[in-house]
Amino acid sequence: MTRWAMVIDTGRCIGCGACSIACKTENATPGDVWYAPVIEEEVGDYPDAHMDYLPVLCNHCEDAPCIKACPTRALDRRDDGIVLADDDACIGSRACMNACPYGALHLFEGRTGEALGGGARTAATVPDAGAAARYTPGTVQKCTFCAHRIDHGLEHGLVPGLDIAATPACVVTCPAECRIFGDLEDGESTVSRYLRERGPATVLRPDAETGAHVFYVDGSAR
Amino acid sequence: MSRHLGPQNVFMDRFVLEPKVQRVWDIPHAVWFTLMGVGGGLFVLARALELESDVGTWLGLPFVELLSFAAIAVGGGILIADLGRPLRFLRALVNPGTSWISRGAIADVVFVVVGGLLVLPDLELGGSRPFDWLPWTAAATNGLGRLLELVALAAAVVVMFYAGQVLAEPRAIPYWHSPLIPAQFLLSSAATATALLLFLQAVNDVVIPAGHCWLLAGFLALLLVLMAVHLRIDADHPGKAESIERLTSGRYRTPFLGGVVLVGTILPLILALVGVAWADARDVVSVLAVLCTVPAGYGLRLLTLRVGIFPPVRTMVPVR
Repeated sequence: MTRWAMVIDTGRCIGCGACSIACKTENATPGDVWYAPVIEEEVGDYPDAHMDYLPVLCNHCEDAPCIKACPTRALDRRDDGIVLADDDACIGSRACMNACPYGALHLFEGRTGEALGGGARTAATVPDAGAAARYTPGTVQKCTFCAHRIDHGLEHGLVPGLDIAATPACVVTCPAECRIFGDLEDGESTVSRYLRERGPATVLRPDAETGAHVFYVDGSAR
Repeated sequence: MSRHLGPQNVFMDRFVLEPKVQRVWDIPHAVWFTLMGVGGGLFVLARALELESDVGTWLGLPFVELLSFAAIAVGGGILIADLGRPLRFLRALVNPGTSWISRGAIADVVFVVVGGLLVLPDLELGGSRPFDWLPWTAAATNGLGRLLELVALAAAVVVMFYAGQVLAEPRAIPYWHSPLIPAQFLLSSAATATALLLFLQAVNDVVIPAGHCWLLAGFLALLLVLMAVHLRIDADHPGKAESIERLTSGRYRTPFLGGVVLVGTILPLILALVGVAWADARDVVSVLAVLCTVPAGYGLRLLTLRVGIFPPVRTMVPVR
């Protein structure tokens, strides 16, 4: 069974925000919706101060609280572990937004057409996929792990995490290669090897016990 | 993640690692929670105390139960109006397996439908009772009536309870993630409903028994204890510490400690005890108790929502 996961090496992140922009471009998210923001933290005091950067996104949790909270089953997890939101089933109760410990769900309050690129998921690598899919006002939106890229890549014999066209946009865009993507169940995948060689890994908000599939390592600590 | 007040540059917003206040649910949800609690509480307590027919009727139907149905209907309407896609509201019924909103929505519908059916035989229109042929009585004196009453009562209890459980189930907001939240909402609902029943008895010249004042005092005393315990447990937990700080020394200190706790809970508790000791004061006590508990019930829910804080997402506990 495939379990897509991401490792983020915070020791490599330079805080450029290219992942955030790549995500926005790939998914054409509405103006105030960021699936993959980079959180900044000022650490230390002058003159020994520096900025820490923490790229975040939906953690595609094994025990996703957003799925449990949703009254309409608009949120669901695929067999490969990717948690997706269904515009057509969402009623905009926002229960998922308060249930998610990562702030990874966003209500699209605007009107159709307000989103970047005319409100369409542009799906850069899948030219025909975006045209019909428009964000529905009043519904919740979230990171898809670029499922359209993964699915399109798999259909064409590509390997997500290794082949650019089959890998999430934030991963392939990162100039510092701080994001690693792959199948957690495959012991030889990029994520499995990275976790084995560069661990230990942490997850965000472990107290929430969500079974997050986004792991963080700090390569600079070694 | 929280967004800074202004954009860092023209291309993207700035996100800062800090506790983040939830701004998803506010006044409409506090009104919804309050009406659900009071509506369910009125039905349950009126039936438990066998008061439903003693505190007024309208078209032959118990006024207190009509009030209960109206509160639930208005509360549900407010929730529906606040949805991002209101016309899809019936979809909220499809996930009772894990979602408390879904369970609550089902309970709302069951309560209004079954409760409405239960009282229907007593409906008077133009001097006649067009539904008195139905094989049960509104007072639930036969088997079918008792079954309908039992279903309506069970649904009413869920209606009273579920709003708190919606907040308490997920772990994202530590102040909410506690069984003491639904317990507080339940007791607040029971206290408000009891105060309203005392008031309706006074208005209808029904002698208020001392036991009803004891009941109000008991609900309020328990509520006071649960609020105090909730403020003490895990008080230094990230997220909850900030919530408690806002309630006890921050911007919500006066509305919470002065309004919800002092005027909304301690004062009516004292008044209820005065009512226990002094029968002549019970009518006045009932009026004051309503004036104290109804706003306090709303305030408790609104402030609970407004101090819902997500702790910062970063921690450094190895997991793999």
